Amino acid sequence: MKCNKVHNKLIFFLEKELSVSEMEQVQKHLNECSECALFAAEMKNTLRILDSDKVTDENPFFFTRVKARLEKQSQEEPVARPVLIRILQPVAFSIILLLGIYGGFKLGQTPKVAITDSSLSEQEMVPYWNELQDEPIESFLME
Amino acid sequence: MSDTDIIEQLKQGSELAFKKLVDTHQKLVVNTCYGLVQNREDAEDIAQDVFVEVYRNIDKFRADAKLSTWLYRIAVNRSLNHIRDNKKHKWFHSFEDEVAAKNKAVMQVSTANSDEPEYDFENKQRAIILKEAINSLPQNQKVAFTLSKYEELSYEEIAQVMDLSVSSVESLLFRAKKGLQKKLYKCYKKKCM
Repeated sequence: MKCNKVHNKLIFFLEKELSVSEMEQVQKHLNECSECALFAAEMKNTLRILDSDKVTDENPFFFTRVKARLEKQSQEEPVARPVLIRILQPVAFSIILLLGIYGGFKLGQTPKVAITDSSLSEQEMVPYWNELQDEPIESFLME
Repeated sequence: MSDTDIIEQLKQGSELAFKKLVDTHQKLVVNTCYGLVQNREDAEDIAQDVFVEVYRNIDKFRADAKLSTWLYRIAVNRSLNHIRDNKKHKWFHSFEDEVAAKNKAVMQVSTANSDEPEYDFENKQRAIILKEAINSLPQNQKVAFTLSKYEELSYEEIAQVMDLSVSSVESLLFRAKKGLQKKLYKCYKKKCM
């Protein structure tokens, strides 16, 4: 048996889950190959930890804690909400949301400038929005 | 008092029956949770939730079912939920990286306590490697392996708890052991054990 074949069967060998002939073959290889024997020993020691790594002792306060948790949870249980609240609450939130969207649209719209013939109103409004039209940059630099 | 008596009395609201149930099955539940979450405090915390769930849902318990199977199922589900909730973003961390990081932590603890014997340190390292290897197994394989090793359940019992066929459990355990062996060999080759 080759080393890689032994590596594939090692865990089953250690757990004694191989057939008798396979057990013998693996054992024979381990007797001859020191490297595989080292890995087998390490693996055996590692898997042995599972036997001792268990909860063996009981917590004497365990039941008290379970009872306390049970009582705490029953106190925290939410009271059933009336039907009216269950319906009214989502409706109110929907209205607020729609109002918010409408308000956002209204605020986002640019104010319409009333176009009139009077030059005074144009002079009043245009500089506010675009000063360059009234005072081009070229003329400003020339001066 | 048999399990049937405990359940009957518990259905009538007997606190004494509940205490009996908790006392009798505490170790079973805590050990199962511990095998999956690998932390004693977390395991006890989950086990308490398991018994609370049992108390609340005792009316739903079928008389023909086995109490221990029901307890194992709740314990496994609760533990898996706990693991899922606590799962941090470890996608980019390889198994070897995690082992190396844990080894570093053990080294720091060990240096602080110089009286600790060497074999104890080696065993601690082995335990970390083994736990990491078990944790890296796929969920179903991990559950089957834990029930087999920590609770020493038979294939039939594991099949009942996991609601699978016995052949599926056999296959799960075979693949779990293969996976574990592969991970341990990889670690051995990289000198992390």
